[in-house]
Amino acid sequence: MSPTRRDFLKSSSALMMGATALGLSPAALAQALREDGHPPTLVVVYLRGGADALNTVIPAGDQDYYSVRPTIGVPTPANAGENNPGVIPVTNMFGFHPALAPLHELYQQERMTAIINAGSTHPTRSHFDAQDFMERAAPGVKSITEGWLNRYLSATRTNADRDLRAVSLQSTLPRSLRGEYPVLAVPGYGADEAMRAFERMYSCEGNAEAQPGEAGMTDDGPRVGGGPATVEERDHARERQQEILTAGAQSIEKLRHLQGIVRNGGRPQGYPGGGLGSQLADIAKVIKAGEGLEIAALDYGGWDHHAYQGGSTGTMANMLNHVAQSVRAFHDDLGPLMDKTVVLVMSEFGRTVHENGNNGTDHGHGGFMMAVGGPVRGNRLYGRYNGLGRRELYQGRDLPVYTDFRSVFAETLYALFGFNSDERQFFPEFEANERAVGFLNPVAG
Amino acid sequence: MPRYPRCFRPVLLYVLLLGLLLPAVPTLGQATREDRDRETERRIRELGIGAGRDRDRSSRDDDNPGAETNQGAPLTEREIAAHVLNRLSFGPRPGQVEEVMEYGWEEWVRRQLDPASIPNDRVDSFLASEHRWTVMSMGDIFRSYRPAYTTNPPSQEEQDERNRNLDRIRRELQEATLYRAVYSERQLEEVIVEFWRNHFNIDQQKDDVGYLANHYEEQVIRRFAFGKFEHMLLASARHPGMLIYLDNIVSQKPLTEREQRLVERYENRNNIPRSIRALGRQRGLNENYARELMELHTLGVDREYTQRDVTEMARVLTGWTARWEDGSSYGQTPDSRGNLPDYGFYFREEVHDTNNKRVLGSSLRGGGEEQGIMVIRALANHRYTADHISRKLCTYLLRDEPSEALVAEVARVFLRSDGDLPEVYAAIIFSDDFLYRQNHRVKFKTPFEYVVSALRATGAQVENWNETREAIRLMGQPIYRCEDPTGYEDTAEAWLDPGVLVYRWSYALRLARNQVEGVRVGESLLANLPRDEMKDKLIGRVVPGGVSPQTNTVLDEYLRDRTSAADLLGLLLGSPDFQQQ
Repeated sequence: MSPTRRDFLKSSSALMMGATALGLSPAALAQALREDGHPPTLVVVYLRGGADALNTVIPAGDQDYYSVRPTIGVPTPANAGENNPGVIPVTNMFGFHPALAPLHELYQQERMTAIINAGSTHPTRSHFDAQDFMERAAPGVKSITEGWLNRYLSATRTNADRDLRAVSLQSTLPRSLRGEYPVLAVPGYGADEAMRAFERMYSCEGNAEAQPGEAGMTDDGPRVGGGPATVEERDHARERQQEILTAGAQSIEKLRHLQGIVRNGGRPQGYPGGGLGSQLADIAKVIKAGEGLEIAALDYGGWDHHAYQGGSTGTMANMLNHVAQSVRAFHDDLGPLMDKTVVLVMSEFGRTVHENGNNGTDHGHGGFMMAVGGPVRGNRLYGRYNGLGRRELYQGRDLPVYTDFRSVFAETLYALFGFNSDERQFFPEFEANERAVGFLNPVAG
Repeated sequence: MPRYPRCFRPVLLYVLLLGLLLPAVPTLGQATREDRDRETERRIRELGIGAGRDRDRSSRDDDNPGAETNQGAPLTEREIAAHVLNRLSFGPRPGQVEEVMEYGWEEWVRRQLDPASIPNDRVDSFLASEHRWTVMSMGDIFRSYRPAYTTNPPSQEEQDERNRNLDRIRRELQEATLYRAVYSERQLEEVIVEFWRNHFNIDQQKDDVGYLANHYEEQVIRRFAFGKFEHMLLASARHPGMLIYLDNIVSQKPLTEREQRLVERYENRNNIPRSIRALGRQRGLNENYARELMELHTLGVDREYTQRDVTEMARVLTGWTARWEDGSSYGQTPDSRGNLPDYGFYFREEVHDTNNKRVLGSSLRGGGEEQGIMVIRALANHRYTADHISRKLCTYLLRDEPSEALVAEVARVFLRSDGDLPEVYAAIIFSDDFLYRQNHRVKFKTPFEYVVSALRATGAQVENWNETREAIRLMGQPIYRCEDPTGYEDTAEAWLDPGVLVYRWSYALRLARNQVEGVRVGESLLANLPRDEMKDKLIGRVVPGGVSPQTNTVLDEYLRDRTSAADLLGLLLGSPDFQQQ
């Protein structure tokens, strides 16, 4: 696989250099940076497991909804009860799940929207394939093994890139951020002490200048306690050690920097407890610190509700509410900086239209996406809906996909960073047309 | 002959007696059919794809171009012993380098190449008492770990109970994997098993793979790791764990256009004839397994076969599925008494595509279960497969980018021996390249290798694996949980990222100070360490290959005003020198 991947990288970076030489570097980004030192920021929240679209943005105006969801359907306001809250109407046909109330206010302020029947053109119902295809923005193309956000970072890399151009504040990177471009994943407890202990050992003072394999390396003394070292030829073992030292030194430096920002960022207000809330609170601090954060990505798992999904209340309602509260707190926390920040919420696929025998739903096809932030053209929904009749469904059972997620990604990169994915041939085998969905206003220009 | 689980017997039959047992096709004489299959198999193997380009390369290989010579001083005896233990075991235990020097490294390797000849009492008795699943059939594993539901829909308690058991069997597989890697005397076996685990990766997080991975580890990976490649390939292809993981279980012959039209015509009607309803349920081809079989398990990517070959291969494998032995289909719930029949491979004839196919330039007439077996056998012994497997093994055992000459030589052994794996391993280990200095200490340990080697180097006793499992997960390599069908990579490029070392340092310090819950380092390790000899003695015990001058200087500085042997040990385990092997 890797030769293919390298070839692709080679061609895309050649393309990038060409584009830069022609003066096509993102003007919007430069302008936005000039104003206040903060670039626009994209925050991607990934709901892992296949979040159920039909119980999030709900076609409550369609009687068919209640026949396919007899048990877990969310009632219309007229049929709601005290322990069974109804949908929050947003259009004649659709309403939000009541757990999304904190985001509904933003919707009314034209700062939040949802895209319905969005997703992948690939038919897979496998979690890992669907996630891979989506996070690499290359459905069906297994030779692309790097995340789309990482590829964006590589494609627009300059010598002036800041350390914290992209972060993920969890211990392993979401796949969208994995790849060639170095993005830091942040270790948890015990990290401080470990870094103190190993700072000297991984210090690059003595060896940073000595490139692997070059003559004149410092410290050419004999290996201690082992056999004789040799410097007659390239010392391959030593080159490997140099790489390890460099990775260690970089880890310490970047982590210290990040920890400083988070520590000095003050007490976050209004976030709910839990992983998503605390990660978003820390991301807000990094944005506010003016460290040039462009891309952040985080995971929220556990959406594979094959059983006991619940309706108005219950498992999925609680999780939706956690998302809504966390993102709302993040929005309020950032204040004016939210004018050029977008939070994009997505999942690998939606779920079956019909509920199953276990008060849950199985893997489906079409899903939903949500966007929050100043650039969002809210107070309306995006996407196409043709009802729930069997002929309208994908393979007679799932929501169809009318909006390719790549269109959403392309528009996001264009609106925030002025990045034209078609010119860069960024999405393999796909022409995005950067304004196809129309859910964002460009941040600048 | 040992007793094999029932579900596995069909595989063995085919593996051992394939030629004799091919079911006769009524219209053809058995011999005719057999001859034709042999002929097709031979053609796929030898004439199939890419006759031109690669043949050129192999003829050049005959002159052995690109063969390397040793660069630098020959390895010392001590270095050889350390090298052998780093690469062919999960790192030396204290004192083991000296043992191998005394025993003779070649003799040590020869014994390791025949794992069954090495007594392994500690592991055997541990597994016998703690991990009974290692000798269970698939059906018994389900019966033991998946309690039956008694109500419909099941109560929350019943579901919780089932989830607890699923967690338990997944955890037990991870623990047994670690236990064997740390304590087995058959270390080469463990190193090799880790290779195949990734080559034939399945993910215990996917559906019933959580139960099946345990059986798969024993009956596919371990069983054939020192046998023939073809046998392991076939066993994996027919194991429900793989069939579920890569979706072959839902792959069905595609509807013809006529059938498609029929289904659509009746779609919104109330009375749909039963036959058409059955058609409507068919989901069509799923190419997932067929593709990975060719790309990952055998030929490798970019080997000139086409999407069409993948699709045709998927058609060959339609109907390769699993079921309970009583005939009920996959996913069936237990009978009224809560009993589950055995689980196993099942050739589901009604969804198998019996039309003619064309794979890798060879025509295949009709269909049948044996057609798939024949094609898989041909793939197993294809020269691209030989090259692919040899390259991966050389990368794993020797260096991230092994020399072409060595790969070609090992591939020749693979083909000549019909994929006899111990011969292939021996070809790498006893090659001249194996002891070249440029291959010494150039591999960066994977998280799994790092943690296991630290536990071995410290002679640790482990009562509780939880923190260790968690540490490996945080480092990015949770055991049996690689979602990608590629399995985990074993090259530095894949693992040497900013951030990852910090987890290693934390684990190193906690391990050395006995802070990892339920883990204690060997008592003799930190005994008898007078201050002026502390450093050198510890280095000798933990990193017998020695450390770099920079590491040595830092350790000296540390000892200037502190004397904790435990912290010194932690520093050594976290040093760049201990990340290398």
